[in-house]
Amino acid sequence: MTLIDPVDRSLAEQQGLASRLDSFTGLGDESATFIRILARAPGYAEALWDAMAEALFEGNVDHSLKEIIRIQLANKAEDPYFSSLRSKLALDSGLTEERIAAGQGDFLNDPQFTDAEKWALDYAYRMYRTPETVDAAFYDRGKELWSEAQIMEIGGLIAIHYGLQTFMRTLQQ
Amino acid sequence: MQFEPGSIDAAFYDRLREHYTEEEIVELGAFIGFNVGYHTFFRTLDFYPMFSPDGVLVSQEESRRIYGDTPGSHLRSEVQDALAETPHEAAN
Repeated sequence: MTLIDPVDRSLAEQQGLASRLDSFTGLGDESATFIRILARAPGYAEALWDAMAEALFEGNVDHSLKEIIRIQLANKAEDPYFSSLRSKLALDSGLTEERIAAGQGDFLNDPQFTDAEKWALDYAYRMYRTPETVDAAFYDRGKELWSEAQIMEIGGLIAIHYGLQTFMRTLQQ
Repeated sequence: MQFEPGSIDAAFYDRLREHYTEEEIVELGAFIGFNVGYHTFFRTLDFYPMFSPDGVLVSQEESRRIYGDTPGSHLRSEVQDALAETPHEAAN
């Protein structure tokens, strides 16, 4: 139950969203509720989900790491919907609930994460808590571990997923 | 949404529906969420407008000097300048 009702699946399909509905099930929501809510505003579901999916599933940063980051951000946004979803691709690749939980906790001191993974998790952690600490020195450290393209990939993932999770959070009681 | 998302409840959405269609509410909500996400990210990148207020292409160093340490401040400054120059028109 959301405060804005999703459109019927058949209507979403009539709007040309069938492929997006299918791809969204990759996050484990067979009903694709989020897509059908965005479908209230013509054009928004295509543009926003395409960008979110590109950020999460494509690129040159490990998808499982990005999935941990996505869930960390959903928890920060206090969004029960996106917090509960899990990427089937990441799970099939071996991502466990234990590792997801580790990415929400004391990850900086957790030896299961590489230095590059710790930096990426810390990037997401700081972004909406203490953005002023994501400064030149922080980026310099990131550049020792990631290419600039990868840093932009992680930053873009963080921005779009947190932003839309924040909106989705307000739609739930 | 950025500062008090918990206050956006059913009553808030009911109030919105008095003024906007559900299509418009989704449009607004997605727009706001997108901007909350991206502008915080952009802030960390510490970049400045490519152009001076009169439209001249400037370096990042020069732009920082023109616009100050807070990149968004030039917008507030322009609004404040407009209000100072034409207070009655702006107020109306």
